[in-house]
Amino acid sequence: MLQSTDGHASSHFVTSAGKRSAISMKSILSFVVAAVLAFTIFSCSKTEVDSIDPNGTGGLTLEFDNYVGGTNMALGTAQYKNTAGESFTVTTFNYFVSNIELTKEDGTVVKVPNSYYLVREADPKSLNVALTGIPQANYAKVAFTIGVDSLKSQAPVTERTGALDTGSYGTDNMYWSWNSGYIFMKLEGISPASTISGKAFQYHIGGYGGGFQGAARTANNLRKITLSLGSTSAKVRAATTPTVHLIVDAAKALGGTNTISFATTPTVHSPALAKPIVDNYVNMFVVDHVHND
Amino acid sequence: MRLVRKVLRVVMVCTLPAGISSCSNQSEVALDTPAFTVPKNFPAPVYALDRNRITAAGVELGRMLFFDARLSRDKSISCAECHSQPYAFTHHGHDVSHGIDNRVGTRNSLPIQNLAWSNSFFWDGGVLDLDLVPVAPIENPLEMDETLYNVLEKLRKDSTYPKKFKAAFGTEEVTTARFLQALSQYMLTLVSANSRYDKYVRNEGVTLTADELAGKQLFVQKGCANCHAGELFTDNKFRNNGLSLAFGTDLGRGRITEAPQDNYTFKVPSLRNVGVSFPYMHDGRFRTLEAVLDHYAEGVTETPNLDPLLKQNGRLGIPMTAGEKAQIIAFLKTLTDEEFLKNPQFIQK
Ligand code: HEC
Ligand code: HEC
Repeated sequence: MLQSTDGHASSHFVTSAGKRSAISMKSILSFVVAAVLAFTIFSCSKTEVDSIDPNGTGGLTLEFDNYVGGTNMALGTAQYKNTAGESFTVTTFNYFVSNIELTKEDGTVVKVPNSYYLVREADPKSLNVALTGIPQANYAKVAFTIGVDSLKSQAPVTERTGALDTGSYGTDNMYWSWNSGYIFMKLEGISPASTISGKAFQYHIGGYGGGFQGAARTANNLRKITLSLGSTSAKVRAATTPTVHLIVDAAKALGGTNTISFATTPTVHSPALAKPIVDNYVNMFVVDHVHND
Repeated sequence: MRLVRKVLRVVMVCTLPAGISSCSNQSEVALDTPAFTVPKNFPAPVYALDRNRITAAGVELGRMLFFDARLSRDKSISCAECHSQPYAFTHHGHDVSHGIDNRVGTRNSLPIQNLAWSNSFFWDGGVLDLDLVPVAPIENPLEMDETLYNVLEKLRKDSTYPKKFKAAFGTEEVTTARFLQALSQYMLTLVSANSRYDKYVRNEGVTLTADELAGKQLFVQKGCANCHAGELFTDNKFRNNGLSLAFGTDLGRGRITEAPQDNYTFKVPSLRNVGVSFPYMHDGRFRTLEAVLDHYAEGVTETPNLDPLLKQNGRLGIPMTAGEKAQIIAFLKTLTDEEFLKNPQFIQK
C-alpha cells in the first residue's frame, strides 16, 4: 500500500498531461490511448493500489493552519506585531470557506456541491474540512470563496443548515441580524494601541453585495481564492485521501496592501468600511504542501 | 403545488403536515378557522406563504414564543412587551423602546401588523425576510440580549415546547428554522383590515363623516398618498420626510447601504392604526398626530436627501390650514381597527 501514492498509471498521466498544451491533437489521442491502455493494465494488476476508477469517488481534506506571520496562532496568549508596529494578541479568528472547486490536471473543474464551512481557530475540528464524494483524479488547483455567496445569504431559513444555521453560533456570532448577512471573517483581539474600551479590536467582515428594489447594491466583499497545489498534485483515489495543508496568515489581513492600525481603526462592523481588510486578506492563504495518504 | 398555493391565497389554511401537499383533515395540525385570509381590498401578499404554510399548531406555537420572556437573557422581557396589542403591537408610551435591564434602544418600536405585505423590515430595511427578523431583537444587547442558540437550548429542555414543535412540524426537533417559521406564522396572522375605513371601501354598510371624507380626499390632494400609498398606506420605499437632525443623527437606510444618497431615509410607515401607535417617527419624537401634521405643514427641514415631494416649487413642506389638518387627522383615525386591537385570538391565554 505504501507505494500507492506513486501509482504508475497516474504518474504517466501527470507527466504527459503537463506537456499537453504543446502537443497536437493527434498526439493527445495517441497519448489517451496509451494512457487508457496503461491504466487498464495497471488497474488489472494492482486494483487496490493507486488507479483512478473513472466512476469512483474519494475524499480530500483541506487543512487550515492559522498563523500570525511566521508563528502558529495561539489564542489569547501569544504576542504579535502588525505592520503598523503595534503589538497585539488574537482572541478570535473565524472565517467561512464556501463554494469549493477542485481543478483536475486536465483543467476540468469539479465543484463541490453545497460546500459551506466555518473555520474557527478555537474549534480544532473545524480546521480540517473533509470533502467526500470527490471524483477520483489528480487535482492541481483548489479554489474557494471567503464568505457566503449572495444566493445563500438570501436563502430561506430552511436552507440554512450546518455552518449556515444562524442559531448555531452561540456567543461567537457569525451573523449580522440587523443587516441580514453572514460575517465572512472575524478577527478580534487586544492591543495596547487600541483606542476603545478594553483595548480591544474587532474586525467583522461581511457584505454580499445585496441590492433591493433596484436601489444601490451594498458593498460586495465576496472574494474567490484560487491556489495552485504546486509540484505535488492531490491524488484522490479510493484508498488515498489527500490533505492540502494551507497556511493562513492572519497578519496578512492587517497589512500588505493596506496597513490596518488598531489605533486608527479599532473596529470594523460594516461592509463598505471592510474593504481595506478584504483587499489584504485575499492574500492570506498559501498552500504549504500536499500529502497523498 | 400550484393548486396548494391558490388554496392558500384564497382560504389560506388547509391542514398541511410538512411535506404533504394536499388538503386533508386527518392530520394533527388540523385547523378549523382560517388563521390568515387576504382581505378583499388588499393586494396579493409578498411573504412566500407556500414555503411556510400557516397551520393552527404553528400559529399556537408562534404565539407562545411571542409571549415568552424566556426568549430574553434573564427571562425578563418577551416580544409582546415591546409589541403590545392595544397599541397595534407597539411599545406604548416609549419614544424609543426599553429592553432588558431597562436599557434604552435607539428606535421607536414598529407595529406588528400586515407583515405578509412587507418586503423589508425595520425602519432601515436591514432585514428582507420576515423569518429572519426575530434574530435581531433576541441578540440585540439593548433588547433581549440573548443568543438564538441559548433560546433553542432552553426550549429543548422545556417540558411542553418539544410537543408543540411536533404538533406544528411533525417531530419534536427544535430547530432554528422551525422556531423562526412559527414566530412568522403567528405574526402573519396579525392582519388589520377591519377599520371603519376598510368597511367603508368594501361597502360593508359603514359610512364616514363629512370631515373624515374630506380628510380622505385631502390625504390624496396634499400628496400624503404619494408615499403612504395604497391600501397598506406605504409604498415600501425609503424616504426622508424632512425631520430635523436636532434629535440625533440616525442615518436610517444609509446605515445599511452605506450609500450617501440613502442617509436619513427611513421606511415609509403604514398609517394603519396610527391613531393608537403613538409616539411617531423612527425616534418617536412626536407624541400626537397634531404634531405630525404641524411637522408636514411647518417643520420640514432641508436635510441631505430630503424627498423632492416635500419641496415643491421651492417651498418646504405641505401647506395646510388648521381645518385641513384636523380633517386629515379625522381620516387617519378611521384607520383604527378595534377588532384587531381587541382580537382575543392574538393573545396568549
Ligand atoms: C426592547 C423592545 C423590543 C423587543 C423585546 C422586541 N422588539 Fe420588535 N421591534 C422593536 C423596535 C424598537 C423595532 C423597530 C426597530 C428598527 O426599526 O430599528 C422593532 C421591530 C420589529 C419588527 C419589524 C416590523 C416592521 O414592520 O418592520 C418585527 C417583525 C418585530 N420587531 C418582531 C419582534 C419579535 C418577534 C420579537 C421577539 C423575538 C421582538 N420584536 C422583540 C422593539 C422590540
Ligand atoms: C415624501 C414622502 C412622504 C410624504 C409626502 C408624507 N409622508 Fe408621512 N412619513 C414618511 C416617512 C419616510 C415617515 C417616517 C419618517 C421617519 O420616521 O424618519 C413618515 C411618517 C409619518 C407618520 C408617522 C407614522 C408612525 O407610525 O410613526 C405619519 C402619521 C405620517 N407620516 C403622516 C403623513 C401625512 C398625513 C402626510 C401628508 C400630509 C404625509 N405623511 C406625507 C414619508 C412621507
